[in-house]
Amino acid sequence: MTIQKDPERNEVSYLHRCADFSGKRVLEIGCGDGRLTWRYAIAARNVAGIDLNRDELKIAGIERGSDLEKTVALAQADSIRLPFRDDAFDLAILAWTF
Amino acid sequence: MVHALEEIRRVLVAGGTLIDLRPLAGGWPVELVSSRSSQEAGCVTDLPQALEDDTAANSAMAHGESAGLFQREREELFPFHYSWDSPDEMQEYLKKEWADFAEVDETVWKRIRSLWALADADARVGVRLKMLITRWVKVG
Repeated sequence: MTIQKDPERNEVSYLHRCADFSGKRVLEIGCGDGRLTWRYAIAARNVAGIDLNRDELKIAGIERGSDLEKTVALAQADSIRLPFRDDAFDLAILAWTF
Repeated sequence: MVHALEEIRRVLVAGGTLIDLRPLAGGWPVELVSSRSSQEAGCVTDLPQALEDDTAANSAMAHGESAGLFQREREELFPFHYSWDSPDEMQEYLKKEWADFAEVDETVWKRIRSLWALADADARVGVRLKMLITRWVKVG
């Protein structure tokens, strides 16, 4: 099956219009398979991507490029109990999360 | 989600940014698109779960604003396209991935298939989601 998601790249374009990632410590809640993460992570200082879905995180771990291994950390965690200290991030993204 | 907003506020620095990025329910159009043309075949039907999710998220964000956790700075809507090689692939995907929040009526499937029978060789079938992106800033 060939599925295309957002071939026009509207999502990343609007995301960059909304936020400056340069040098930022970013928390992405609902990172899933990392589809969105890879599109901004290169600009960020570091990224913590969390999701409840272990299978999606597994895919993200496989698809994370070697250039992002030190920058992007992935973890299974719930947004109502974030495993991070106070003031740890400059920017948070609620990605397709309800 | 209210608890999540409180947690997000805790881990953000003073003046930190929160981006809320999510699809909004609302009868997303189903389209057949080729390099020559685009035809609308109908709309996806929102299931109650999708409407409940939207209501819950909207109300949590409104609470976050009224409770002084975050202040809304910017908000925009934009289209997000999903597309598949054929109606069969789309149907299979929707059944597997979207069953909780959206479905396509039989009349719309019939219309999709009749348009598909006459479509250009490079045609794809797709759904145009309505996305909301909002930038919030941590207050205090």
